[in-house]
Amino acid sequence: MTNQNAVTAGKRKSSLEKLGGQKFIVLLVIVGLAIFFSVMSPAFRKYTTLVSILDYSYYIVLMSIGVTFPLITGGVDLSIGTGLICYSLVGGYLISFHGFPVWAGMLVTVLFGVAIGLLNGTLVAVMDIPPFLVTLCTCMITRGLGSIIVGGFGITWPTAAQPGGWFRSIFKINIAPRVMLPIGIIWVLILVAVMAYVLNHTQVGRYIIGIGSNKEAARLSGVNVKIYHISAYVISGLFAGLAAIAYSAIFTTVQPGTGAGFELEAIGGAIIGGVSASGGSGTVTGSLLGVFVICLLKTGLPFIGLQANWQQIITGLVLIGAVLIDVIKKRREVH
Amino acid sequence: MKKKLLAAVLGATMVVSMLGGVASAEEITANGEYTFEIIVKSYQSSYWQAAVKGIDSEKEKLGVTANSNGPNAESDIADQVNMLNDAINKKPDGIGLAACDQEAVLESLQAAKDAGIPVVLFDSGVPNAPEGSVYSTIATDNYGAGATAAENLYGALKDKIAAKDEAGEVVRIGEVNQEATSESITSRGLGFIDKFTELAAADGHTVAVVGNEYYVNNCKEAGDEASACIIIEVAVPAQTTVELCATEAANILNKEDVIGIFGSNQVAAEGILTANGNLGVLGSDPETTVLAAGFDAGSTIKAAVADGTMFGAVTQSPLAMGIKTVDVLTQIANGEEVTDLPTDGYWYNAENMDSDEIAPNLYD
Repeated sequence: MTNQNAVTAGKRKSSLEKLGGQKFIVLLVIVGLAIFFSVMSPAFRKYTTLVSILDYSYYIVLMSIGVTFPLITGGVDLSIGTGLICYSLVGGYLISFHGFPVWAGMLVTVLFGVAIGLLNGTLVAVMDIPPFLVTLCTCMITRGLGSIIVGGFGITWPTAAQPGGWFRSIFKINIAPRVMLPIGIIWVLILVAVMAYVLNHTQVGRYIIGIGSNKEAARLSGVNVKIYHISAYVISGLFAGLAAIAYSAIFTTVQPGTGAGFELEAIGGAIIGGVSASGGSGTVTGSLLGVFVICLLKTGLPFIGLQANWQQIITGLVLIGAVLIDVIKKRREVH
Repeated sequence: MKKKLLAAVLGATMVVSMLGGVASAEEITANGEYTFEIIVKSYQSSYWQAAVKGIDSEKEKLGVTANSNGPNAESDIADQVNMLNDAINKKPDGIGLAACDQEAVLESLQAAKDAGIPVVLFDSGVPNAPEGSVYSTIATDNYGAGATAAENLYGALKDKIAAKDEAGEVVRIGEVNQEATSESITSRGLGFIDKFTELAAADGHTVAVVGNEYYVNNCKEAGDEASACIIIEVAVPAQTTVELCATEAANILNKEDVIGIFGSNQVAAEGILTANGNLGVLGSDPETTVLAAGFDAGSTIKAAVADGTMFGAVTQSPLAMGIKTVDVLTQIANGEEVTDLPTDGYWYNAENMDSDEIAPNLYD
């Protein structure tokens, strides 16, 4: 047990050093992109653009915080994108058609996420099914389930002017037209800090990293690996639920059948931020930074007049670059 | 429970009035126990849900079987082709199809023809369909509907454009299209561009079309950006999401010279409204605000039109389209002659949106 801790701790330290390096590079990329887009497009420099980037980033950041945990165990969670839409549809449906107060709808939204996370975790850790398969299945299930529960219709959560619209001010306070405070970023940063602490300074976090580095060693050390393995997916589900609330608060209509592809932005952000594609190492702050690279590209590329298909190509190239850094560093460690 | 909700959302009156409207035109009865496979573009918007509602109510009325299906998103072209092939393999009495992509379905349409299964297209036509495979196309005259938006927007902006042209200043009109592949979206986009250009030219203004290549290359007159007084800027996002449409819309709305913007379907129009959430530039007064024209309905767009944030929008009649699709499939199975049925696009704004003529077409 103590030996194992020493091993994981030693491994973790070197990983952290390595990731500190990658995080620094990502931060430079963010600053570089921000300067580049600001020079190229006057509209990009506007305050409203910053607010829009933040608005559209919350749900991806929240998903990314959560999915960092399964990724570090060496797994993945593909169900968060369609799950997000499913949870949001169900919560909004209960509010709009069954008279649920908004807080109760929000609670159901988050709990639904936790439940799917628990299902994912159990199938992965207890039934030993590959995470890719499990979450691909729950991805499909949530995609269909959301539509069925609400009857196939698009759902609109209360708008800012309607009763119950208060929940939109969790993320943005409108003081006057064109004057707004994007306070969502505060909650996001607090959650990043909390989850960074959980990952690095609690038993749950240490074992999650341990599972990713060497599952067998973690099991032999006498730890009940399954509980910790499940908890990684529960965290991912919980944050998909929180992301669902962010999505409902920022966008108007939630449409059944959408959501596929959101998870790729969250996972891509985590990988850019230094989460190892093969598990065992990664940080929550890195994932946050990685998502902002994707969000900057998504908003900035149209602003400099680049046509749609180029936007996807460039985002893909950036992702390859990030994975290459990870691979090259691993190779250096080995030699 | 679910049925109750459906009824509440669409409004029982709407169904009754639409059914009445169609039935009175022509009395149709099914001469057999027909089975049809109907494939919509997606379940992504309430627009398609209204079409399915029309299909379901009419199949019950006629006592035929009509199975509706559709991909998750309008961009899932390959999924839809698979569904179409599956439908052909089931050997139904007819297939109703709203094609996501005009080219991708061509082989399957040939296969349907070879198998002797009649196909009725609705919402979107397929211009290069194999001869004899498509029996009827039931679609909004999308080109005309785009032109309707241009007529109304130009009418409201006419004086402002004239004043700016006299002062030697350039004005910009934005257009957000969710993609550049389907017949319905591209026709609307091009219909808007061509009509706006035509009206402006008639008043002696010069127009240039810039942005997405498809629309620039396929409009009647792309003009010259350097000398034009009106610039129509066309944006197409990387994916058909509200978020990416909003980013494209924000990019255009941020420009100093923009005076009007058109979103050619529900997703694009909601994207414009989402962008405006932060920018706050839209309104109904051409002197002080940017005028936005939308397309389709849904509760968000309806609310924006009602409070004047959106100047107006064009709506189609998805419910009637669903009903007519089942009708025409039944007529074909009966052995009756059928023809193409164009359906109209209607302009609505804060004033007329509650009228008897418009309200039934405004689904939530």
